[in-house]
Amino acid sequence: MANKKLTLALFSGSVDKLTAAGVILGGAAAEDMDVEIFVLLQAAFAFKKENALVNDRVSEITDKKDEFLASLKRLGTPHWTEAFKQAKELTNVNIHICGFAGKVWHGEKLDDFIDLADDICGIGEYMDSAENSDINLFI
Amino acid sequence: MDTAELAAVKVDKSVDARGTSCPGPLLAAKKAIGEIDKGQVMEVLSADEGTRRDIPKWCKKKGFEYLGTVEESGFFKIFLRK
Repeated sequence: MANKKLTLALFSGSVDKLTAAGVILGGAAAEDMDVEIFVLLQAAFAFKKENALVNDRVSEITDKKDEFLASLKRLGTPHWTEAFKQAKELTNVNIHICGFAGKVWHGEKLDDFIDLADDICGIGEYMDSAENSDINLFI
Repeated sequence: MDTAELAAVKVDKSVDARGTSCPGPLLAAKKAIGEIDKGQVMEVLSADEGTRRDIPKWCKKKGFEYLGTVEESGFFKIFLRK
């Protein structure tokens, strides 16, 4: 039986939503789902090599940012890049950088992004993936 | 299985995931399940309440036999057979 498929349109470049995406990826990996991630606009900022590990923006409950980040540390929560990496090691995860989003953040080449990224693509690939998925998420 | 039966089960693999939060214990179980043979028993130690509910669901989806959970002081022992 073919694996179930998750398509994730990842728009957010903030660590709270990226961390949530990492948790969901963990669930997908545990169930051997095939995962296609499309890195859109603000997420492309977070995927830039110079930003991935130093970006500490949060998009929700921003007045509690310090408490939130401290709690992640207290709970031993892996950085979102580690969670994504772990999911890639455990199941079939492909990460596509939206070409337009890359250009917004001056990322023209795959090498401008962290090694988790597999390729740069157009919106047609997202549409194909979304049409053929068991689960579609926009984060 | 009840607590007494679970206490008597021969455990072939123990995974201590008490230092991690969701989905850490589930992923630890997923990694470790590949290291045991069909029919062998694995216990997962977790302090995460969500994992107590996740592992039985995961077992059902993956075709493993969930044997039961024993509540210890501050953590759970979750048993399954591959």
